[in-house]
Amino acid sequence: MIAKPKVSYPMFESFKDKLKPKRSQAQLTLSQVEIFSRMSWREIKIIEHAIHIRNYAPNEPIFKQGDPGSGMYIIINGRVGIFFEVPNQEPTQLPVLGESDFFGEIALLDDSPRTASATALDNCTIIGFYRPDLMQILKTKPTLGSKILLSLSEVLATRLRGTNSELLKLNLCLEEQAAAGDHA
Amino acid sequence: MHNQDPIEIAPQSVRFFHQNLFKTLVYFFLLILVLVGAYKALPLVLDAIFLLVIASILTVVLNPMVDRMESSGISRIIGALIVFGGIFSTVGIGIVKGIPALLIEIGRIKDVIQRHTAADSLDSFMNGINTTISQYLPDFQLDTDIISNLSAQFFGQLGSILGGAINTLTTIIFILIITMFFLVDGSRMMKRLIEVVPNRYFEMSLNISYKTKKQLTNFLRGQLLAALGVAVQSVIGLSLLNWIFDANISGVFLIASIAGLANMIPFVGPFMGMAPAIIVSLFNNLGDPVAAANFYYIFHIVVMFFIVQMIDNNVISPIVVSGSMEMHPLTVILLILIGSQIGVLGMFLAVPAWGISKVVVQEVYQGLKGHRLI
Repeated sequence: MIAKPKVSYPMFESFKDKLKPKRSQAQLTLSQVEIFSRMSWREIKIIEHAIHIRNYAPNEPIFKQGDPGSGMYIIINGRVGIFFEVPNQEPTQLPVLGESDFFGEIALLDDSPRTASATALDNCTIIGFYRPDLMQILKTKPTLGSKILLSLSEVLATRLRGTNSELLKLNLCLEEQAAAGDHA
Repeated sequence: MHNQDPIEIAPQSVRFFHQNLFKTLVYFFLLILVLVGAYKALPLVLDAIFLLVIASILTVVLNPMVDRMESSGISRIIGALIVFGGIFSTVGIGIVKGIPALLIEIGRIKDVIQRHTAADSLDSFMNGINTTISQYLPDFQLDTDIISNLSAQFFGQLGSILGGAINTLTTIIFILIITMFFLVDGSRMMKRLIEVVPNRYFEMSLNISYKTKKQLTNFLRGQLLAALGVAVQSVIGLSLLNWIFDANISGVFLIASIAGLANMIPFVGPFMGMAPAIIVSLFNNLGDPVAAANFYYIFHIVVMFFIVQMIDNNVISPIVVSGSMEMHPLTVILLILIGSQIGVLGMFLAVPAWGISKVVVQEVYQGLKGHRLI
């Protein structure tokens, strides 16, 4: 069977293009983030109204270890370094984060101090989604707020499971080392 | 050869001084111009700030209602319109029902004074009161001059107060329009405003503004609930006095509203709330021997307001008012004295304004300390 050639109608195509909803860079980035990936475009638009888009210069600190945390950050473009500072030692750099990566999400749930520092490695455009914004969503759009909290809990649960299995592996490793030491 | 005078070049420091002097003079004149402009524009700016502050306070009070409506699926603008509809209806009913009652009450008090003035002059009327007082307190005498001066001042100022009220109608409309904008678009305006904060202070500023707003909402809501509590209790108490002792206190709702509002001023407020009830009872019962025998029910009214205060201080306020109003009595007196420079409104607003400022300063200080900036 001969396949029919696809006919394109330029006028119709341009009309179709015009009808296509225009998505902002922030909306596209939010839709790629695990926490917001199951939200509808309508809901993402509501979240977009709540977020703050900030620009950072290279080496500009985003937050410092020990600062009271108040929200999470999502990278639209650029790279961000996460540094863990130990007193009297050089700061340890954790893996570099890039486009659509997010960090600091625990601060959405409590205002305990930041456990690491974040610094822009080059020119970055970053979305800031803070606890006051989440609280406002919870107050005015409770269904959407609950959805965000549920997704956030899922992300944290997955991470906790991963940490538990790492801890288990480490524990086994230590036990093996201790047993080997006993034999020796 | 032609002997030419050598051109003396001023040392660099001198040139630098001259150039800088010129620049400094230009800047100085510009500064003078700016200062003169600011001085001329200051009343306008102050008026605008006053409108914005009042509208912000109203927004803080009304915002939870609009938020609640939005959470049930009503758009913000419709929610704000419903809230405003409710306010206008309440104020409208208050004006329609309250102002004639108030005018009747004022007219009655005026009548009593005029009647007594016409019959045997205000002095002899005051002497009558002094005679009654002397039966209970032999050494105590009311200064009749002061009282007649005060009553003359009160009725003299009444006209200007009413005139001022009509003039402030425009201001009230402006405040309501601004409040409407704040209610519908306030969060977006706040977002735009906070966007100008540098990255370093951004998170902290956002946190401070959120916490301050939350504290202010709690504070104002608590104050209003406590005022409402006192007003309701006063209505019940005054109605009971009328019912049990036939105290003939009219304008119960008006007196209760004044008592509720005055309650926002610690220490002094309860006395300010008590005064209208005593005045009304005194003027309504003049010439009544039973009321005179009961000392115009002043003792009853004082005891009633004392019970209201007891309930408010021990039951209502601990539940609804946050601890941010803990103030030294001296601070309150000083604030009321400062507020009295602006007028009666200033006296009412001085203590709550101080309470709000205290909350803001506390939150800013905590925020700066948390981010190790101080």
